[in-house]
Amino acid sequence: MELLNNQESKKQPDYKTSEIWTEKYRPKKFEELVGQDDIIKKVQNLTKALNIPHLLFAGPAGTGKSTLALIVVKELFGPSWRENYLELNASDERGIDVVRQKVKDFARTKALGNVPFKVIFLDEADALTKEAQQALRRTMENYTTTCRFVMSCNYSSKIIDPIQSRCAIFRFKLLEKKDIEKRVRLIVEKENLQISDQTIEALYEASEGDCRRVINLLQASASISPTITKELVNTLISTAKPADIKIVLEYALSGDFLKSKEKLLDVMLKESIAGTDIIKAIQKEIWNLQIDDELKVRLTEKTGETEFRMTEGSDEFIQLESLLASLVLAGKGLK
Amino acid sequence: MSPPLPLTEKHRPKNFTEIKGQAIAIQEAITFFKTFPMKKALILNGPVGVGKTCIAIALAKEFNLELFELNASDLRNRSKLDEILKPATAQKSLFKKGKLILMDEADGITTSDRGGLPELVALIEKTKHPIIITANDIWQRKFNLLRRKCHLVTLKELKQETISEILNNILRKEGIAINPKTINIIIENSKGDMRAALNDLETVLSLGEEIFIEELSEREKQETIFNALKQVFQEQTNEKTISAYNNINLDLNEILLWIEENIPLEYQGQALAKAYDSLSKADLFKGRIYRQQYWRFLVYQNFFLSAGISAATKLKYKKFTQYKRPSRILKIWLSNQKNAKKKSITIKYAKLTHMSKKKANKESFLFPLIINQRAQDKLDLNEKEKEWLEDKREGMIESNELERFKN
Repeated sequence: MELLNNQESKKQPDYKTSEIWTEKYRPKKFEELVGQDDIIKKVQNLTKALNIPHLLFAGPAGTGKSTLALIVVKELFGPSWRENYLELNASDERGIDVVRQKVKDFARTKALGNVPFKVIFLDEADALTKEAQQALRRTMENYTTTCRFVMSCNYSSKIIDPIQSRCAIFRFKLLEKKDIEKRVRLIVEKENLQISDQTIEALYEASEGDCRRVINLLQASASISPTITKELVNTLISTAKPADIKIVLEYALSGDFLKSKEKLLDVMLKESIAGTDIIKAIQKEIWNLQIDDELKVRLTEKTGETEFRMTEGSDEFIQLESLLASLVLAGKGLK
Repeated sequence: MSPPLPLTEKHRPKNFTEIKGQAIAIQEAITFFKTFPMKKALILNGPVGVGKTCIAIALAKEFNLELFELNASDLRNRSKLDEILKPATAQKSLFKKGKLILMDEADGITTSDRGGLPELVALIEKTKHPIIITANDIWQRKFNLLRRKCHLVTLKELKQETISEILNNILRKEGIAINPKTINIIIENSKGDMRAALNDLETVLSLGEEIFIEELSEREKQETIFNALKQVFQEQTNEKTISAYNNINLDLNEILLWIEENIPLEYQGQALAKAYDSLSKADLFKGRIYRQQYWRFLVYQNFFLSAGISAATKLKYKKFTQYKRPSRILKIWLSNQKNAKKKSITIKYAKLTHMSKKKANKESFLFPLIINQRAQDKLDLNEKEKEWLEDKREGMIESNELERFKN
């Protein structure tokens, strides 16, 4: 076993020794960030003055929100940034009470160093309910002298106005191909890889502008071969797609409810895909089905109703089953 | 070492004297055999676990016959039937034994078994060997013709004293003593079914009396939920429907899962969709109860689970449905066990890379390829987690034939 490992490591030094690239190649300075020039300039100026307001970063995944927040705190606090920085994830922390308690505990002590405040990064703030956001607003006010909030979200519309009005809002753009390409080329050079323009194109297409996904795909590909081909990238991408959703729908439309139900549970459990992601996939897939347009409209309506019930109900799977039963019925109408 | 025989096999009676409580049936069986071929076949009709098969086996032993067992599917198996129909003389020269044919559990022959019953009747006409047929309910109309061709003996449930005598005999032979109270529970619970009594005794011996008592209450629960399901699915919706679950010792959320599991066994098409819509509404109210702590919504949850499901169709008919216990929760649990490592890795990964678990989970399909040795150390993964990654990595490479990309 030991011997085997050694041989392998000779063949592929990268796979065994390098760390996670999304971290290794995470921009460490303002200048390294790509694609968000205006924002970077403004935030850099704020940081230089050693006094930032509360910040709200809105924009799609993988466009540099967390990265910029990290750069800000590193610039502000230098080597002691870890002591003055708290990262919270709204979608992971259960309930606003946990958030409040953690914020309180953290904000109680004074900041170390030149800067008079600490920084709390609240990631995915749009995952908080309206009520939780109201509560958070009070907390922000109470600790504003000792603590600054940097919040990130995908949609600023999901953040209540009182919070928005207390923050400087920065809207991150989806990264363009040239931005992604710049990053990819840098990594390719440092890691001694070979890649074609076409492959970069494929990476960009697959990632929908999410730089993190691009780098993860790049590293995964490199762990197989230093020459990264389009086919390799596409093969890896295909492992992520819930292609099985189509099979679930096909079983239902052919009238086999039990098989469809079984497959659905299988997909959800094996890949641990949430019900809300399943219904998104179903909604997209319905439009591609070979069925009458009117039926598509009816099914989409039912899908919408199901998604609504999911948000109100307690058991996503039961709601999805109910949708499948309607699909079985729709399938019968086809014949 | 081979596993010990189940008590039902180990203590199966070997001769007529060991069969208790069926003296009349035994007498009739002997008469049938001695007067063969006056009647070619004997039907032993009676509830389960009273000794029907035992009588057939004992008859074969007492008269030194070879027991030839048949089942429903054999009736359509030409070569097997030919074997039976071979003249007795030809057989005797080979085995020096007559044959006794046993058709166990004839109720298993359904009308949908193409020609199963006519084949059996034809076999009775042609046979050179006596046939014993056992059945639980031979009075169904489909057996009319068969009944006329056979000698019919009806067996009754065993009396409690008989079961007690047999159980105590077995305990003495095994050299085991158990609480007389438990024995009484077993006897009462058997309802005259010796096999059930022995299986229960087996449970007591292997798992202990406490677990047995627990299992019993579980069994009772199941029986009552089965009845409630039957009422909801198979009886016309009426004022009683909404109280179908009143006497069940299960909470509504568990009942919801029972309904979910069993709707597809009872309904199809329109009724299926309507029933699932009702189930979905019941779940809606369940969600609202949780979120708002407004318990009056229970009324609606119950309504949609009972009347709502029942009213999904007006076409009701009684039939036997083998209801299933809810399986989804177990599947989720098993899968969680399986996914536990992926989850723990995701949590560590999320922390290191400044992401939420949810987002990290979306990247997790690439973990086996991107979390290499150094990253593993940095994430402080334990041996189990490393093993999981390695397994997944190998699996990924194999199933996607990634080797072809290596140069």
